[in-house]
Amino acid sequence: MNVASRDRILAGIRAALPVRSVERASADYQQIQRSYIRTVVRNSSECTALLVERLREYGAEVAEATPSDIVSVLSAQLRASGGSTFAAPPDLPLEWRVPGFEWLIDDGLSYEQLDKVDGVVTTASCAVADSGTIVLHHGSAEGRRALTLLPDWHLCVVRASQLVETLPEYFSRFPHAPQLATYISGPSATADIEMTRIKGVHGPRFLHVIILRDVS
Amino acid sequence: MKGPESLARNKPPRVQLDPRFAPPFPQAALPVLRNTQLRKNVAHAIDVIQSKRARLVEEKADWEELRAAASDLRAHVLDNLGHYLEEFESQCTAAGGHVHWAADGTEARRIVLEIIRQKNANEVIKIKTMTSAEIQLNLFLEQAGIAAHETDLAEIILQLGGEAPSHIVVPALHVNRSQVRDIFAQRMGLPDLSDDPQALTAAARTYLRKLFLTVPVAISGANHLIAETGGVVIVESEGNGRMCLTLPQTLIAIAGIEKVIPRFQDLEVLLQVLARSATGERMNPYTSVWSGVKPGDGPQNFHVVLLDNGRSDMLRRPVERQTLKCIRCAACMNACPVYRQTGGHAYGSVYPGPIGAILTPQLQRLEHAQSLPYASSLCGACYEVCPVKINIPEVLIELRAQVTNREREEPRRFFDPLYLGLRIASFILASPRRLRLAQRLGRIVARLFASRDGWIHVLPGYGARWTRTRDLRGVPSQTFREWWSTRNKGEQ
Amino acid sequence: MRASLFITCYNDTLYPETGRAVVALLERLGVEVEFNSLQTCCGQMHANSGFRAEAFSQAKRFVQIYRDAETIVIPSSSCVAMIREQYQGLFEELGNERLRRDFAVLSPRIFELSEYLVDHLKVEDLGAYFPHRVAYHASCHGLRALHLGDRPYRLLAKVRGLELAPLANTDRCCGFGGTFSVKNAEVSSAMLTAKLQDILATRAEFCTALDNSCLMHLGGAMHRQFAGVRTVHMAQILAATETHPIEELP
Repeated sequence: MNVASRDRILAGIRAALPVRSVERASADYQQIQRSYIRTVVRNSSECTALLVERLREYGAEVAEATPSDIVSVLSAQLRASGGSTFAAPPDLPLEWRVPGFEWLIDDGLSYEQLDKVDGVVTTASCAVADSGTIVLHHGSAEGRRALTLLPDWHLCVVRASQLVETLPEYFSRFPHAPQLATYISGPSATADIEMTRIKGVHGPRFLHVIILRDVS
Repeated sequence: MKGPESLARNKPPRVQLDPRFAPPFPQAALPVLRNTQLRKNVAHAIDVIQSKRARLVEEKADWEELRAAASDLRAHVLDNLGHYLEEFESQCTAAGGHVHWAADGTEARRIVLEIIRQKNANEVIKIKTMTSAEIQLNLFLEQAGIAAHETDLAEIILQLGGEAPSHIVVPALHVNRSQVRDIFAQRMGLPDLSDDPQALTAAARTYLRKLFLTVPVAISGANHLIAETGGVVIVESEGNGRMCLTLPQTLIAIAGIEKVIPRFQDLEVLLQVLARSATGERMNPYTSVWSGVKPGDGPQNFHVVLLDNGRSDMLRRPVERQTLKCIRCAACMNACPVYRQTGGHAYGSVYPGPIGAILTPQLQRLEHAQSLPYASSLCGACYEVCPVKINIPEVLIELRAQVTNREREEPRRFFDPLYLGLRIASFILASPRRLRLAQRLGRIVARLFASRDGWIHVLPGYGARWTRTRDLRGVPSQTFREWWSTRNKGEQ
Repeated sequence: MRASLFITCYNDTLYPETGRAVVALLERLGVEVEFNSLQTCCGQMHANSGFRAEAFSQAKRFVQIYRDAETIVIPSSSCVAMIREQYQGLFEELGNERLRRDFAVLSPRIFELSEYLVDHLKVEDLGAYFPHRVAYHASCHGLRALHLGDRPYRLLAKVRGLELAPLANTDRCCGFGGTFSVKNAEVSSAMLTAKLQDILATRAEFCTALDNSCLMHLGGAMHRQFAGVRTVHMAQILAATETHPIEELP
């Protein structure tokens, strides 16, 4: 442990700046002016429409479903993928592990196993409509991070009640930071070669989102 | 296809971006200005990002409010940097991470090497991080027998091609598709590879997959460090970041001390301005945030190396301190008319463009890179687009004053025509009588160089720098003040 | 109404016709023009090149000379920008309380030419006549430091016979940048060429601006290349009438 450097660096910082107490720092932080938009204007169906638009702009496949038809919508998507083996986090709702496919529950699958599955189905913690962002906090119905990273095809079921309009709204909904979070705004992409946008580098090349209408 | 293990040791880049040895900017710019391919590539790249950014900024009704908040937030952190760094350290440690402090690049490299050696690893995978380039980590690791595999597409292009980065967000923007094809074909053993960006990207994906699944140590930077939670934030597009920070057992994040932000919630401002500024998107494809270690999910051995390397010295004065607000979006270089013509290599540093022109000399304590503050026409386009409102022209002028003050003490000033010229000009301009005399003398001298139409086409010595590409209209036969005084006399 | 003309060191020496045009223009509008012959330079060149102490001396002289002026008019957006952006800092660093106060009182009375016409005199139609195709170059200081906005365009719009050709990439620097034009002459020239491309594409006969420094750089290259375009400060366009067309200096 390089205590000497730590002390030197902190001493250097303190010498450079006017002395301030922790209380003063805290008070100053509260005084920072935040005049950016922190209100929302869209209702639930407008938010959903915006999310759908943004997701499609990024090239994600979007479908909507109700509690009564989610299973058939899900089945249709899985069939359309052409895959037969899918991974799922331990607490994915049982009825979403639809018949006709092989399901591997991720209770410690190896990377090789994850690499070989045809896709993965998870829930999410939130979706931000304005930026088309799917938010995973990696709880047991979303799975560990590797689960939504290695398979090439990821289907995410987001409840309409989990939608927020803006990023500030997401942060006000989750005042306690999760230990892990992944914010997905479309399939992976690069523009490193002549600024030509190529989709699908690492990470799932195919992102499917089902918006489950659980609010009227 | 050749796997990465079969590659010979990576060659060091042809252009080593070391400010201690880089030629001065005017000299370094010359070969670049003659490189028509590079100029075309650079202009194309920045035009694409600029137009995307402009559209999104236009659409964002609270853009200026976001900028103001982002600027205030970053300034607030710097005013209280010690406090927030200690909070970060305490929270990160409580969450299972190890925090190290490195006073300079040498120490940072040593710390990183020790961690790698503890794991008996002989290769690492890397997420793009300018901080590691700043301390020349790859070269150091290679010399210690550790292969450092870049995984970012642009960084692979540079690493395999023996090139140096020329931009902090799109580091290979100076390389076009056929150049990439040639590099991949040769180094990945793919002679039939086409130059279609899709095919090139697919080749990179295949090349890296095995690395991601097997290499036990990864090195990253950090876009932000969150004091409140001990969290680290990585913003990326390709997914190689997620691979590196999720799959290996050991993860080392190297971050400049200025990267810390107070709270998780502050991302609501910073994430809104970063992607729009950097790539012209509302949000980049993947942003990852994690605190410490979580059993069963991701690296179980996590280290953060906090790097000073000259940053704490920059805190002393507000005019310089603002440099550290930077969130590395590169909007400034995309907007810069100088960068547009020269690209990044001319700046002789891994931080090019306007931010590089102020950051690099300061990190070097003005011992080096003294030409960089002058690599600007002070047009202010950078300040206009900076999401954290760094007044770059103000800092450039300040650094010019510091460079000049050093020059005042040095004998070389007697051989610097511009220095002498400005000192003489100051003497003349201190008195209207002297000015009138100098104007008369100037008129006579100018006539010696003027051609028949009264214009000067050639000047000797330093003046040739003007007349090489521009004529100079001769000094008129009557100055304004001479005209004014005769006019008034006439009226009287 | 009185205006004290700060001609600027380089206009005084190299572009006196700009000064003459400003005088003609203001007198036509009923303004009594003064010229304090103690003036020399605002200090911009030295301040931007890192010669702070020298710039301070010039700044101090400026404030002392103009302490009692009603208004000061300056036909150079870069000089006005420098005064507004840097004088305060120079006086804080090297000056005293008296100087800081004097400048604070003086500052609202300093106007760039188009600001003086549009904001202070509140006129846009100056009775000007200039039957030519003209491109307007928005110098960076005018654009970003002074936020001149549409003032120059509003003034040009009222000039009879003038055809304003829209210039592309108006927000891109021409590459002059003061000593940058010689310290980094090659890069400056590359930026200049890019700007010329846009100017020549307008097929304008004249390129105008509110700053002769940019025009010296642009005009110098266009003259070298026999490009068929002349540069002229906007004051001269605004001063031109049927009976008094612009001065034809070589």
